[in-house]
Amino acid sequence: MDILRALGFRTYGKKALPVYKEICVLTVFFLVLTPIIHMYRITDFMIFCIYVMSFDLLYGYLGLLSFGHVLYLGAGVYISVLFSIYINSNPLLSLLAGTLGGGIVAATLGLIVVKLDGASFALVNLAFSQIGYFLVTSTFQRLTHGTDGISSRVEAWGFLNFSDEYITFSFILISMLLVFYFLRKLTSSPFGVLIRSIKENETRVTFLGYNTFLYKWITFLVAGTIASFAGGIYTLYVQYVSPTVLNPLDNIDPILAVLIGGAGNLYGAIAGGLLFMMMKDWLSSHFAVWQWVLGIMLLIISFWFRHGFTGFVMAIRNYQRKKAVTYDQDGAQG
Amino acid sequence: MVESLVYGFTLGAILYLFSIGLSLTFGTMKIINFAHGMAYTLGVYFFITFLRVFPGTFCISTLLAVLCMIPVAYIVERFVIRRLYGESLDYAIIATYAVLLIGTDFIKFVWGNVPQQVRDPVGLSVSISDFMIPVYRLIIIAVAVILFAGLNILLRTTMTGKIVVAALEDADGVRCLGVNVNKHFSIVFIFGTLLAVLGGILYAPISAADPYMWLSILLISFAVVIVGGMGNLNGTFVSAFVLGITMAITGRFWSQAADTVVFVVMAIVLIFRRRVA
Repeated sequence: MDILRALGFRTYGKKALPVYKEICVLTVFFLVLTPIIHMYRITDFMIFCIYVMSFDLLYGYLGLLSFGHVLYLGAGVYISVLFSIYINSNPLLSLLAGTLGGGIVAATLGLIVVKLDGASFALVNLAFSQIGYFLVTSTFQRLTHGTDGISSRVEAWGFLNFSDEYITFSFILISMLLVFYFLRKLTSSPFGVLIRSIKENETRVTFLGYNTFLYKWITFLVAGTIASFAGGIYTLYVQYVSPTVLNPLDNIDPILAVLIGGAGNLYGAIAGGLLFMMMKDWLSSHFAVWQWVLGIMLLIISFWFRHGFTGFVMAIRNYQRKKAVTYDQDGAQG
Repeated sequence: MVESLVYGFTLGAILYLFSIGLSLTFGTMKIINFAHGMAYTLGVYFFITFLRVFPGTFCISTLLAVLCMIPVAYIVERFVIRRLYGESLDYAIIATYAVLLIGTDFIKFVWGNVPQQVRDPVGLSVSISDFMIPVYRLIIIAVAVILFAGLNILLRTTMTGKIVVAALEDADGVRCLGVNVNKHFSIVFIFGTLLAVLGGILYAPISAADPYMWLSILLISFAVVIVGGMGNLNGTFVSAFVLGITMAITGRFWSQAADTVVFVVMAIVLIFRRRVA
């Protein structure tokens, strides 16, 4: 029963901005950003932001570092593509199929991985992501056409025509805001407090009588499902998939994005996703070999810049506030 | 079948040489060392370069490549791992991955993307009941077994070995006794890296060298370490050979599935084992 109560979406604290205001700010921000960068890039960035937010739930809030999150993105992509080809060409149904299918994969694998922590959690996820890559490129080659990739057969449904740039953009923007709303509510609910407590000290949470395995499993499931949702949207958007979406070497992308933005913070995930994608675009169009730049950034972040971009902004704000307080005190004394 | 078994033992030997360093860093510092893959690949490229400079000297090139890797391993340990060790394990893992990314791009930059072949230095084969077994593979197996025995002797007789064995049980406990654990960890780290380099060089004539050659062996060795028990050196030895043979036999019937079957074994072990780390 306590899960139901914990999931009961009650928010703590009065100071926080109401969620609808945050969503308005985000909408305006993305709409302003669109004319600056090409619309098709922004659409791509937003899909990546959904994916990074799902990773942030797992790493930033629950504290489990996974090196295999790309598996759930890929599961969503491939399940929705295969659904659109063999079962039904309705875009929303194929998105739903991808999301649920990826969720089922996350639920099953979660039973194995969630009881691990630290190093072994990271590795076992990486191993599963390698298995996923293998399944797509070799075992189910007849279905997936291996490394050649396949085109989805999603057709327009009503006004939802995904060949239209503007409709795709709006659909993905709304999806991203929905995911943001959901995660914002989830992380500020008692459930969110609980998973952050597990990050701080799991033993104490166990002593309080909570079944931490269950909560970790639910979080893993939610994170996997949202990543598959991002995958399903990606299919709708590009309409052609190849196993590169499942490349185990890409597992570092969401990690780096979350670290750039600042872990444990949804704004951090969005800022990190945007910054990472812009940097990747710029680097890959200017240099042939560019991964070392990511490596150096990772080193800098892990040595000196642990709280990322949002942490940096917060530090500046806190510094100014502190300065303001000291001035007040001086004034009172004088 | 005999061929597959010998191939399995060869793979097991290479996996053992690679995993031992991972297992030691896992067991003592609780860090996954992705940089191990970088050292492995870089060592092989050094070896290929030395072999080109001094043609026909397999042993000398191996020795030179292994010696060249000592400063690299020391730099990684001193400036990346020790800096983050004890502060945050997540960041230590991420930082070693960063070293791996930088190393891979360095290799691509210097030696290019094209896979490089190394010739079998022995070239002879012995026949065991109609099967031709290359002598070189038997040498690899012998090297691994000798190193296993040597490592066990080192761990029992030297001071560093004894401290490491104690630290595998309880690193904090050893530190509380006033031992400068970091110094010994550093020695063990470099030693483990050199074994991985040796493994990579021995494996190079069987496979080929390319900048991403670390990916598959790193993943499989992680599975070896998890199946064998983290920091359990004898367990690592057994699981390396068991998984190597499993891979070779699977590869005989279904060549693409050879890597994946290792992860399936790992998943099964994880399901049935309560405590992992």
